[in-house]
Amino acid sequence: MDPDQVAKAFVEHYYSTFDTNRSGLANLYQDGSMLTFEGQKIQGSQNIVAKLTGLPFQQCHHNISTVDCQPSGPAGGMLVFVSGVLQLAGEQHPLKFSQLFHLMPTPQGSFYVLNDIFRLNYA
Amino acid sequence: MEKNIEMVGRAFADHYYNLFDNDRPSLSLLYQPTSMLTFEGQKIQGADDITAKLIQLPFEQCHHVISTVDSQPSSFAGGILVFVSGSLQLQGQDHPLRFSQMFHLIPTVEGRFFVLNDIFRLNYC
Repeated sequence: MDPDQVAKAFVEHYYSTFDTNRSGLANLYQDGSMLTFEGQKIQGSQNIVAKLTGLPFQQCHHNISTVDCQPSGPAGGMLVFVSGVLQLAGEQHPLKFSQLFHLMPTPQGSFYVLNDIFRLNYA
Repeated sequence: MEKNIEMVGRAFADHYYNLFDNDRPSLSLLYQPTSMLTFEGQKIQGADDITAKLIQLPFEQCHHVISTVDSQPSSFAGGILVFVSGSLQLQGQDHPLRFSQMFHLIPTVEGRFFVLNDIFRLNYC
């Protein structure tokens, strides 16, 4: 599969899981994973998922605008840079966001998120 | 270790945009033949082509103002991921453009960093 397709498939899977089954994100992180969420640093799958499931909204929907990817080095990693909008249930206006994922291959042939950086884009 | 990485990320971002705004051709020193840039979806490889692209952008003068810098170790032999958001004021334009950019920095033998990966996107309202 071509890297751009892999990146796009991963991103769709990630946000679909986020929007419908947030605790399912645990499968996409490992102990060494790092998340920086609006400047707050969190390490490890358990803490990351706790942070994401603890976000102060019940329902949300991510709409992706752009996905750019590049190989990150000889270990087969992929950098995936996403921009889009996030609609929270009950909020009038969607929030714009950018997010960077650094994906690393697993022995089973899929990817996990080693690095994750999320920022809202305020006007 | 963490504080160091954030400091390196911030220092790099300041240096990069200072060069961009004041001496764009010098950006070539920050890239190598293996470097990759994706600029608004266009993919460019190698220091020469990347510098050519950046020099030829259709404005004479610009000024980057950084809003946020987030950094993390990338696990590639001392590599650092740097995620920047900010605004870009072009000379003669009324309103600044907002942008996000990510850099993947790799240490050089001289103890500095070069940009292996660079992805730039404007953030439209």
